[in-house]
Amino acid sequence: MDDHFAAFSFVDRIVEYDAGRRARGRYAVPADLAAFPPCLVAEAVGQLAAWVAMAQVGFRGRPVAALANETRFRSGVAPGSTLDLAVDIESCDEHAVAYAGRASVDGTHVIELVDCLGPMLPVEEFDSPAELAARFELICGAGAPAGRFRGVEAPRVVRTAGVPGVSASATLFVPESAPFFGDHFPRRPVFPATLLLDSQIGLAMGVAAEATHWRTGTKPAPSRMTHVKMRSFMPPGAAVDIDAELVPSGPEGATLRLAARMDGKTAATARLEVIAKAARP
Amino acid sequence: MTQAQISQEDILAVLPTVAATIADALGCDLEDVKPDASLIDDLDAESIDFLDMVFRLERAFKVKIPRGKIVENARGTLTEAAFEQNGLVTDVGLAQLRSYLSEVPPERFKTPTKVKDIPRLFTTETFCKLVVAAQRETKAAG
Repeated sequence: MDDHFAAFSFVDRIVEYDAGRRARGRYAVPADLAAFPPCLVAEAVGQLAAWVAMAQVGFRGRPVAALANETRFRSGVAPGSTLDLAVDIESCDEHAVAYAGRASVDGTHVIELVDCLGPMLPVEEFDSPAELAARFELICGAGAPAGRFRGVEAPRVVRTAGVPGVSASATLFVPESAPFFGDHFPRRPVFPATLLLDSQIGLAMGVAAEATHWRTGTKPAPSRMTHVKMRSFMPPGAAVDIDAELVPSGPEGATLRLAARMDGKTAATARLEVIAKAARP
Repeated sequence: MTQAQISQEDILAVLPTVAATIADALGCDLEDVKPDASLIDDLDAESIDFLDMVFRLERAFKVKIPRGKIVENARGTLTEAAFEQNGLVTDVGLAQLRSYLSEVPPERFKTPTKVKDIPRLFTTETFCKLVVAAQRETKAAG
């Protein structure tokens, strides 16, 4: 199966479109997936914003993940759900797109993105402008066939150091090849920022779970992610050092400072806020 | 940006918020964000940080700061050909740059100055001026 518009594409149809200003879309999460993590929900919202931005500049530029000031995690999304996506474009030109967005399932918000900004890069470096324009026409019309996403294999993450409940360091090995590289992006494979964030959240939640300051009967859960800043593209085969450091903020919460480094340089930073939730018996 | 009309009082009025915004964007200590600190050489800012700082300042001050035009603005009324040649700032361009970035200590201007190195000159105060200019444009636009 051709991976383009299949292996890492999360907008099946655009149902409302106000050029350069706002859009609403849908994505059917395949029912046979084992899970659909929040980072992929955020990816879906970002992709809807990217379609609006690319159309706005005549498919000469495409935004890439760079800044997300705040992502609020509301609830999980079960496979088989239909995501209702919405984006409001604050500004969009040949330099950057600034937007906010959200995803809902059955009328309930599952994720909200606030104050996001993606710099626009020449689209031909990443994909075929003509194919993108044709795809946009398709999803604005009858819609694309649903169910083509087959899931993403989690990258290998090897924990290298840390202090239980305080910090953790690990190396994330970006695969040399994976179906999503055929979609993200066909002409320049890049490890999706949302998959990096997913691995970082996993490392961070491990640290949070080890912490001992939580009130009895509660356990930590991700609440929101702030200060996300992507500085470098991560190519296939890259080894990325990721760190999470926990700063308690009382018995009800904590902030984890996240960093990713590649070739000795900071490649991404973010903060994850976790809150105590009643542990299920 | 018309610095000649931007007073020190104007700058001081926005400095605390600008400095706090820069510190938040760069993840550095507020005390390190001095008015004359070079954002690149002293605070390790990269191009994505400039985008971040402008984005945050727009929110903090409810203004629009045109992205990608900070260096272009430095040219003032000079044509591109008069301002730079082969990637180097001309003598006339350098005089314009010194005037535009009057807050930057003179010793930081190199001869020759590469166009791509102009952002190295930007300081906290440069961003204060950007904000004041944007505030005036917003006010003028009604």
